[in-house]
Amino acid sequence: MIMTAGLGFKLEHLDEALTARNPGLWFEVHAENYMVDGGPRLRALVALAERFAISLHGVGLSLASVEPPAEDHLRRLRALADLIRPAAISDHLAWQKWEGAHHSDFLPFPRTRQALDITAGNVARVQDALGRTIMVENPSLYIDLPGHELDEATFLSELARRTGCGLLVDVNNIFVSAANLRFSPEVRLDAIPASIIGEVHLAGHRPDPDPDSGLLIDSHDAPVSDPVWLLYQRLIDRVGPRPTLIERDDEMPPFQDLMLERDRAHRLLEQRMSIDA
Amino acid sequence: MLDAADFQHAFGTMLASPDPSNDPAMRRALAVHRNTASKAARDALFANYPVTAAMVGEEAFAACATSYIEAVPPREARLCLYGDRFGPFVDAWTPFAEAPYLGPVAMLERNVTEALFAADRPPLDAAALSRGIDPEAPLHWHPATRIAKALMPAASLWLAHQPDAPPDALDAIAWDREIILVTRPSDAVEVRVIDGPTRAFLAGKTLAEAAANASSEGGDVASTFALLLSAGAFAEDIPRGE
Repeated sequence: MIMTAGLGFKLEHLDEALTARNPGLWFEVHAENYMVDGGPRLRALVALAERFAISLHGVGLSLASVEPPAEDHLRRLRALADLIRPAAISDHLAWQKWEGAHHSDFLPFPRTRQALDITAGNVARVQDALGRTIMVENPSLYIDLPGHELDEATFLSELARRTGCGLLVDVNNIFVSAANLRFSPEVRLDAIPASIIGEVHLAGHRPDPDPDSGLLIDSHDAPVSDPVWLLYQRLIDRVGPRPTLIERDDEMPPFQDLMLERDRAHRLLEQRMSIDA
Repeated sequence: MLDAADFQHAFGTMLASPDPSNDPAMRRALAVHRNTASKAARDALFANYPVTAAMVGEEAFAACATSYIEAVPPREARLCLYGDRFGPFVDAWTPFAEAPYLGPVAMLERNVTEALFAADRPPLDAAALSRGIDPEAPLHWHPATRIAKALMPAASLWLAHQPDAPPDALDAIAWDREIILVTRPSDAVEVRVIDGPTRAFLAGKTLAEAAANASSEGGDVASTFALLLSAGAFAEDIPRGE
């Protein structure tokens, strides 16, 4: 079965998800929510994995941290991967760990050559522990840090070349970052080499509730916006079809509403496939 | 070149401090990152302590949760397990001083979370018994099984806030201390109040010792054992070393 458009899985949607028969449908979960010893939540994912391709999307590897990924985290991720046999494993180009605390967001860093060495080392450690390659996702950015030596596309391309990892392109993150840092999302999107793109994320965003901030927030609590759909069309026109996820983590609508968004991505992918055929 | 470790130290320090930077762009970005992480941790506490949250209301719970997150920030990415010290924190939270039952309820909810994610093991059940059980063989708790003693009716309060609770459940509570058993016999965690003999039974390292314990406290051994089997309190004996 070809993976076309997938949906972020929520436990409350289990029954509807298990009976969905949409062609190309797959599901993604936040790996950490299932890196537990046992119980009904893990059993639900096992049941889902019997029917659908699953992507394990990590939010905790802290790939850009100066400290390497924690051994017990890697061991649990490996155990989950051995159980679920996911189609893909991914995490973010960001850091979260600092002095023993875990900051549950994707923190920015100056993209220096040293940072590339550190991140490549961490990705290699993860891939060695898992016995397979992973994909790395571009994060949403909220500040134009000083000190960058490499642009994001170059950094990610070099990371992929050194480690063999793939790239998960989050189109909404590019849109949000472009608005916040005032660059062209089209130029940024067009700079990513097609050959390393393995998956695409689409999600919703909203303006920062602080009226003085002027920032867009990658909030995952709204439908995918029209400009993000346009960027997505531009991306797949250029690189071809890629497994594409509709991400929603907050203000959850009914499963069927999410499936409408998912089916929209599926149709765009089908149209794109028919061009290649 | 900006050293990566120096940058992460500086950024982490700014994230942790209330008035971190003179640069307005940096202040806005730090606020976003701080809010996102804080919301994720707060959502996790709402998810892991739903009865406590329902009892105090969203606003009061959020205030307590936010203070806890500052005091005990997440140490790892698995937020489904976050909040292991929240029960004692709720117990000591001054705005809840008039409601001394909240701490015990929160502590019970931690047991429920632990039980929910504990390892899977076949429970010792009546079918396993029919294959014979050596009274001197070790009696193993199921990995999900927890026992708690509460000075307040924490289990009764928890049960009264479940969707299947009878409408008069809150009014029917006897305000007394409780011995609480938490188990996970199938897909759902079960909470029940147990008596002294049942707790004594659970302390037995073998069936023979468990029976003697329960009996010495005046319990009916057969009905106590039957109750604990139906609750899924014990695991089938699996050779050690797995």
